[in-house]
Amino acid sequence: MSPSDQTPPLSAIFVLSAAALAYEVLLVRLFSIIHWHHFAFMVISIALLGYGASGSMITVFQRGLLQRYGSVLVFNAVMFGLSAIVCFIAVQQLPFNALEILWDTSQWQRLFISYLLLTLPFFFVANAIALTMARYSDRIALVYGVDLIGAGIGAIAILVLLQFYPPDAVLRIVGVLGIMSGMLAIKQLACLGRLLVSTLLALLTVIIIFAPADWLTLRLSEYKGLEQVLLINGTRHLQRHSNSISQIDVVESKAIPLRNAPGMSLLSPSGTPDQLAVFRDGDEMTTIDQHKDTESLVYQDYMSSVLPYHIHHAPQKVLILGSTTGNELLQATLHNAAHIDAVEPDTSLTKLITEDYAEYFGWDRISDRISFHNISPRGYAASTEEKYDIIVTGVPGGSSGGAAGVHALATSYNFTIEALEKYLSLLEPDGLLSITFWTSTPARGNLRLFATAVEALRNHGIDLPGNNMAWIRSWNTATLIIKNGALSEDDNKRIRDFSTSRAFDVAWLPDIKEDEVNRFQLLQQPIYYMAARSLLSPASKDFIDSYKYHIKSVSDNNPYFNNSFKWSSLPELLGISGRGGIAMIDVGYPTLLFTLVQAVIAAVVLILLPLAFVRRNEKPGLSRRRNIVIYFVSIGLAFLFIELAFIQKFTLILSQPLYAVAVTLCAFLIFSGLGSLYAQKKMSTSSPEHIHRLLNRSVTLICTITLIYVFAFPHITDTIMAMSEAARITAAILLAAPLSFAMGMPFPLGLTATRRNDPQLMPWAWGINGCASVLSAILAILLAIEIGFSGVMLTAIFFYALAWVSQPVSS
Amino acid sequence: MKPSLILFLLSCLLAAETISAQQVDKYASQRQMMIEEIASDASRLVKYIDKDSVSDRVMQSMATVPRHLFIPPEMRDEAYENRPLPIGYGQTISQPYIVALMTDLLQPQPDHKVLEIGTGSGYQAAVLSGLVKEVYSIEIIDKLGLTAKRVLKQLGYDNVSTRIADGYDGWPEHAQFDSIIVTAGISHIPPPLVKQLKNGGTMVIPVGTRFQTQQLTLVKKDLNGAITTKQILPVIFVPFTGGH
Repeated sequence: MSPSDQTPPLSAIFVLSAAALAYEVLLVRLFSIIHWHHFAFMVISIALLGYGASGSMITVFQRGLLQRYGSVLVFNAVMFGLSAIVCFIAVQQLPFNALEILWDTSQWQRLFISYLLLTLPFFFVANAIALTMARYSDRIALVYGVDLIGAGIGAIAILVLLQFYPPDAVLRIVGVLGIMSGMLAIKQLACLGRLLVSTLLALLTVIIIFAPADWLTLRLSEYKGLEQVLLINGTRHLQRHSNSISQIDVVESKAIPLRNAPGMSLLSPSGTPDQLAVFRDGDEMTTIDQHKDTESLVYQDYMSSVLPYHIHHAPQKVLILGSTTGNELLQATLHNAAHIDAVEPDTSLTKLITEDYAEYFGWDRISDRISFHNISPRGYAASTEEKYDIIVTGVPGGSSGGAAGVHALATSYNFTIEALEKYLSLLEPDGLLSITFWTSTPARGNLRLFATAVEALRNHGIDLPGNNMAWIRSWNTATLIIKNGALSEDDNKRIRDFSTSRAFDVAWLPDIKEDEVNRFQLLQQPIYYMAARSLLSPASKDFIDSYKYHIKSVSDNNPYFNNSFKWSSLPELLGISGRGGIAMIDVGYPTLLFTLVQAVIAAVVLILLPLAFVRRNEKPGLSRRRNIVIYFVSIGLAFLFIELAFIQKFTLILSQPLYAVAVTLCAFLIFSGLGSLYAQKKMSTSSPEHIHRLLNRSVTLICTITLIYVFAFPHITDTIMAMSEAARITAAILLAAPLSFAMGMPFPLGLTATRRNDPQLMPWAWGINGCASVLSAILAILLAIEIGFSGVMLTAIFFYALAWVSQPVSS
Repeated sequence: MKPSLILFLLSCLLAAETISAQQVDKYASQRQMMIEEIASDASRLVKYIDKDSVSDRVMQSMATVPRHLFIPPEMRDEAYENRPLPIGYGQTISQPYIVALMTDLLQPQPDHKVLEIGTGSGYQAAVLSGLVKEVYSIEIIDKLGLTAKRVLKQLGYDNVSTRIADGYDGWPEHAQFDSIIVTAGISHIPPPLVKQLKNGGTMVIPVGTRFQTQQLTLVKKDLNGAITTKQILPVIFVPFTGGH
């Protein structure tokens, strides 16, 4: 039977694609837990180059591989399942220390070995899919469509699995799915010794399921907070809860109190009560206070974050945005707040204080005054009509003492200009918005917050924002107060009294005098005061430009609040790196750039290398080769640019990053898959004219819809955010559907055309697209940091247009 | 015993002696290079530490302490590089430059009594040992504390007392201290330590991760007992140089 008479092994491809995407998402979770998120991003980005490597390998060996297609498919599927587990175990054995990478060159070798190991599973998956496309070359769009739909289902499945099972257990499931896809291929292709191989694979499945738990136990970096606390005598690990966004660990230390009190005044008459430590992904410690009586919590009144309650006594309604493990709840109840709305998107944290450790936390004593809302702060702010006397944002876990810039690549919509404007609109007249951050030296995050607040107040119609603002700082925290109205003389006096009685420094007040700043916690320059004065003056732009960190206000279009890296400061910091300068470099952005450099080098090698092996008489002319490269690089870049921009837009709309990722990936991949199936159906004959017409239509549609969204998103965001949850998810899917349907066509159409013109280069084109996708994920973030997500979408339009110009069929 | 065997054994002993002497020389010369590097770096800090160099006494002490004996054997060749090194249990031995700065900020005098919170490898205590009368050092991780205690004893740092305990409460039996150095991670300055600091005393707290000291907090208790803290960058870096 010729390949055209057979049905492609679609069920095997479906399962394999689902497992591969699940594995990709899973690796991000696994590496975020054992190392830190930005390193997870780097390692996995590079590992995905396995797709590019596969394309190169098949280009060179495709004849032999296609002759043994059935066996090769089964082998690659099974090897994916096995290597997914074995390679992760091997990587865990490497003594890699991400924190030491700037000091110790041997860490680079370990990192390189990690790359190689993690590339393998993706290499095997890509082999299986690319060979299937080459084998059934008249049904490329069908295979690709099933691949995408499988990946879409894998995206949603992994998030569901991670809600219910720990990541190491899910890793076994992914491995088993790889083996299963091999078994499905055997069944459908009737290849190999069916019974014997199936029995062996079944045995392998049993081994994966019952492999010793110790093999897959996550070995966290010994420098993570959880590991360090567990070294202390008398600590006890009480609980671990894992879901698709975080792993929460609770630790008790009976012999030695934890004493977590960020920035507590030295003048506090008492220390902290007993506390339980709560870690997110093994780091970022927060604590749950043992609430025996009011006396035990006196220390809470000696934190800078309690300032709003000393300005506005006995507030009727308080809103806490990000209540985490309840410190801000305790502060509000201690100051007699009549009712508190607590917003916390992570239900596992809420559950700790309201159920698991409710008695310890004294939940019964305060529960009658508190309503919880499981939604993001922005989501709540957009949907509520309540008004508040005080709005407080929780102090983030961990401390600024953490590795500088490790969160630089994480987007945050909670402290953008639009967010602060929204919070201000929820305040009663004379109500207070209070935001407390950890300080860092040199100052940057807090200055950025001040700059953003000034802009938000101006947008809110306040001509002299300085009159509405107060700013104080302790040893390692700073609290910014924004009042819905000008601060009165009485307010100023209360703030001064509060600060002086706790040895906190005033950094800004409407009537501040130069000689009252920098009195208790001395900085080499009174930088907070200087910054406040400058940012409120007409010369604010000069100040922002001359500052050695990026402190410009943050908007929804560019929500990288934590990225303060500035190119112009890098030479100076590198020059003093041996004397402590390294600690002042925000590593997130350079890490991203470094990842891009590595990916570009690897991609160029993977793209150019196979051409050396293609026979001279089979090699197309330079212009055809160039067109193939430009076309597949362009659509590879553009597809992910749009997808990643949508994840960000949906994060805001859906109020939950988890929903955003699930809905975006699922909708984009499934509707793209349907688009590809539609293309297959339309290609009754794969004539160049037909492909050309379909390609024209799809690219036109993509560019038009994307352009509309770029301009429409800012206007429809608020409307959608105010809808019910079901309506928001529906709206998001409806927004994604037409665009992703069209986006599913250019790749299979281009591949079909390539197969027609230069069949030996079809796997090469597949590899090029794989490489471009890796570059795209990194470039999208770099671009978003520089020009915002709207800019990323406009760039995607440019690349689709470029792809259209260089489409292989036209040659 | 055959003469040839005796000759062979004597040769081995001689060879071992020679190798050992070469290693001692190697470490001594590396240590000297480290001292020169620190002196060069520190000389640029005049504006920050209000003097033109790290004190000679501190430098002399660092020049005598065998840093390589405070770290795991497999890392000894890197002992005198100006970088932090892992010592196990998620801890590090601090970068020599930072050790020099912190020690200097304590302004150690021969009659001083110093408290250290976070013994770690014991290296900082050893550096202080030659500069002050008594050093009291507390480590919370017992295995680390025991190892440091053994090394300090073997090397003859007899004026260093160690204990395994929670450093937050200090060491009240030996209070008051002329200076205190806190190398453990803390969310706030521990009030018990401030109480155990003599009037006129100094406390130094490095802030950052194990591999990156971002700043040094200098806590000063004046003669009347009033407290001020000062944040010091370990390097000259002025983030804002505009004319505002």
